[in-house]
Amino acid sequence: MTSDSPNSKKVTIEFDDQITRWFMVASIGWGVVAMLVGVLIAFQLNFWQMNGKFFEVITFGYFQTDGIQYLTFGRLRPLHTNAAIFAFVGNMMFAGVYYSTQRLCLTRMFSDKLSKIHFWGWQSIIVFAAITLPAGLTRGKEYAELIWPINIMVVVIWVVFALNFFLTLKIRREKSLYVALWFYIATIITVAMLYIVNHLQIPTSLTHAYPVFAGVQDALVQWWYGHNAVAFFLTTPILGIMYYFLPKAANRPVYSYRLSIVHFWSLVFIYIWAGPHHLLNTALPQWLQMLGVFFSLMLWAPSWGGMLNGLLTLRGAWDKLRTEPVIKFFVVGITFYGMSTFEGPLLSIPTVSALAHYTDWIIGHVHSGTLGWNGFMAAGMFYWLAPRLWGKKLWSTNLANMHFWIGLVGILLYVSSLWFAGIIQGLMLNETDATGTRVVNEFVQTVDKISLLMLVRAVGGTLYLVGFVLLVVNIWKTARSGAPVNETREVFEDPAMKKDAMTWKAAFRNEPIALTFWGLFFGILWFFLPPGASHMALLVTLGFVAYAVIQFKKNTQSWSSWYDNLSENYLPFSVLVLIAVVLGGAIQIIPTVTVNRAMNVEDRLQSVYTPLELAGRDIYISEGCYNCHSQMIRTLVPDVLRYGDYSRLGESIYDHPFQWGSKRTGPDLAREGGKRSDSWHYLHMRNPRMNPGSRMPAYPWLFQKETKFKDLPAKVAVQQRLGVPFPIMTPEEIEQHAREQALGIAEGLVAEQVKIEVPKGEKEPGNEAEARDHLAGKEIIAIIAYLQKLGSFEEVVPDDAPEKIEPRIFKPGIPDKQRVKAPSAPAVTSLPDVQPTLATQP
Amino acid sequence: MKPSDSNKNDIILKEHVYDGIQEYDQKLPNWWLFTLYITIVWFVFAWVAYYQLPFKMPTPHEKIDSQMALIENKKQEELETMMASINNESLQEMSLDMDHTASGQAIFEAKCIACHGQDLSAMMGGIKLPGVALIDDEWLYGAEPLNIMEIVTNGSPDVTKGMIAWNTQLSPAEIAQVVAYILSKQS
Repeated sequence: MTSDSPNSKKVTIEFDDQITRWFMVASIGWGVVAMLVGVLIAFQLNFWQMNGKFFEVITFGYFQTDGIQYLTFGRLRPLHTNAAIFAFVGNMMFAGVYYSTQRLCLTRMFSDKLSKIHFWGWQSIIVFAAITLPAGLTRGKEYAELIWPINIMVVVIWVVFALNFFLTLKIRREKSLYVALWFYIATIITVAMLYIVNHLQIPTSLTHAYPVFAGVQDALVQWWYGHNAVAFFLTTPILGIMYYFLPKAANRPVYSYRLSIVHFWSLVFIYIWAGPHHLLNTALPQWLQMLGVFFSLMLWAPSWGGMLNGLLTLRGAWDKLRTEPVIKFFVVGITFYGMSTFEGPLLSIPTVSALAHYTDWIIGHVHSGTLGWNGFMAAGMFYWLAPRLWGKKLWSTNLANMHFWIGLVGILLYVSSLWFAGIIQGLMLNETDATGTRVVNEFVQTVDKISLLMLVRAVGGTLYLVGFVLLVVNIWKTARSGAPVNETREVFEDPAMKKDAMTWKAAFRNEPIALTFWGLFFGILWFFLPPGASHMALLVTLGFVAYAVIQFKKNTQSWSSWYDNLSENYLPFSVLVLIAVVLGGAIQIIPTVTVNRAMNVEDRLQSVYTPLELAGRDIYISEGCYNCHSQMIRTLVPDVLRYGDYSRLGESIYDHPFQWGSKRTGPDLAREGGKRSDSWHYLHMRNPRMNPGSRMPAYPWLFQKETKFKDLPAKVAVQQRLGVPFPIMTPEEIEQHAREQALGIAEGLVAEQVKIEVPKGEKEPGNEAEARDHLAGKEIIAIIAYLQKLGSFEEVVPDDAPEKIEPRIFKPGIPDKQRVKAPSAPAVTSLPDVQPTLATQP
Repeated sequence: MKPSDSNKNDIILKEHVYDGIQEYDQKLPNWWLFTLYITIVWFVFAWVAYYQLPFKMPTPHEKIDSQMALIENKKQEELETMMASINNESLQEMSLDMDHTASGQAIFEAKCIACHGQDLSAMMGGIKLPGVALIDDEWLYGAEPLNIMEIVTNGSPDVTKGMIAWNTQLSPAEIAQVVAYILSKQS
């Protein structure tokens, strides 16, 4: 934008900095909440009393309890992750996006009203989340726990944000889009896509719904979402923020424009494919696991491209590292980005994953990303923004330095203690006796062993929070000493400026696009064509690559001027981003969700839940059991030795949502059914310390709360719509069946003389029949019914030798040799009769 | 400025300024480019090797199946050897041997007290535990030492109402020690 164009006229812009201030303050406030909850749940892992019993101490014994349902790890951990991701980083991202977009487009946001709706909408979503999650209202999928009415709000608010952002691009006074804006575009488009697909569901009530996908399909969609929530919510927007705020703070040009181009496009294209690395060695089809592994490795360089462009921008400005807290935070943040994006591909190697998956190493890994990369980039940005938003110098540079050091020590303690914890626990779990036929350590022993390390982690997290509180003080003092300022700027507007003038034809019909298209087209054929044809497709792909390299060398000039031109046109640019991010997910997910489910069971088919077991399953999900217990025995010897035969695809085929889990703080439960007696479960849920050393919270409320039998018909109806072969039953029959099964279990427990608790003031049951009737309606009975069902299946006999199946063209998953063709799922016509479980033991 | 016009080592600073931010247009670092290329080549190579060459690599399922078959054989042999060397009398003798009962006690305290109680009474603080008392005279599945050994090894006939099978966690020798410990507690 220069003043020498003949027709340019001077305009004065007042930027909307109020919205940045709001989002920044919101981010800081929610950040404290998220970290506070994090510290609490970290201590819960060491001291089970932190799940509510500590109230006895702080009320001097007035309040007697073994646990408070709203405070258990299972319910608070989702609150912690959602608050950290969507409230802390989310609001921080919006602050950065609103601030930088206006300046990079040289215009105020398109609509102040939309900005305000976005702000208040987002904060109310967070408030609803903070109420519903501790109340046990959850979808049971990680980072996607919020219930369906809130999901709709999220989508609406995201669309408001997108509309405001893209319309601001449309009215920009700057001809071309700076690299930060590319990253914002990718963020907005991709998050919308991920969020909508992973939240497809059918409600059964105002607060409950079943996801449309089940089992392996749900697992794949979930980790496509989960992995790319990290990619497009915690990485790309922060990279955009880095590209704006780092050169501003360092006052140096960005290191390399072409590195920006190469790493941006490779990052957004490759990231999407890597989701399956969260499911290595599981029942996930092998070809998907392979794609997940190899794309994770390929992701290493694109990720490091961002780190390089950040760190190398500081060449010539390294002296500022000594004096400028902002630069300190940015440098360490970017370094942690580099470290965790190296660690990610490393953890994706199947043999490393075999040791590290389900352990605390993974927790350490994500925290080096969130505390190191997100948290420190946020701090750097806030310290840079505060003086500009309130018109006063930062209150105390020393305090900011202190924040830096305390926070850094906190992260290092956190991450390194969990490296050790994860590796030690992994090795102990895998340890076998001299004969190699048995694992030697009880699960609880392996957790005991890492107790001290987990405590160091909790201390590290606490230090990080202390550092963050210093930021709160510093920003507060700065804001109080100054007053809100909105920057106004005079710019020259050139009415003849030719932005967004590219035709669609010019954007898409050109050499770089054509070669990329054909290269990808044949590359995809290479995956899916039968042997022979696939080799041809690979050769053609390689041919296109070679030709593209030659053409690029020859026509560098026209290729780069096409790209420069493209970056002056926001719509074609955004469409290309959309295509790049759709591909990976489409290729992995569409074959998996469209394949006939009966073809996808391997040799076992899960038994359909009875209504009571379904009720129990929903309680299991609502209590967040999946936060500590997996239901997936991997194809690894130690897993099979410890938990039983490895899990098959068919064994979770009716699970809406899947519960494979991602972390084992307790043992796997995939084959828990029938391993222990009903009375063991009864006593254990009431007092897990019957297993000495256990950290599991006690669940006293399950013995008081009533199972909601009345909700079951609606739930069964939705499951039927989703294709689960429940037998045809009237609503009355469903309820009746559930109640009878509950009575049977209760009768068995009463015969075993279990202790029956009645609330104060209610009358104790007088005889066995009364005790049984009292017990049968309680949630504990439903959850025992579910736990005893886990792992039950029917054998599926292949009616055809697998060798005889010829791979069809485009049949997805052909590379998977272990698949066997199964007859279509047998329709279950009636549920097994409920066995009277009255103890028959002599 | 055309890149080809300039000296190769010149660092290009792009003219355009975005809100005060300028960009160099440095060459991509070679080591970075090679990292990217190598991972891509590795992907193509590995995929072809795994799926598209005539020889067949074992799938994870085939691998685990054969590993587990070996382990099962080994366990069976171990059990047979052990069972050939013990009988009711030898178990009774073990129960008088402090070495065996001490090891048995250690195992019992790690694995069994959750259901049978520290003192084998199946009670903890006045609450009935899931297991049966092991110090009364009642034996549900036979009072002979080998009967007890059988139940510890394979569990009770209906696990949901009783004992789990311990042969996945304890070796036959260890099970014999636990049985010896239990026998030593009989009055």
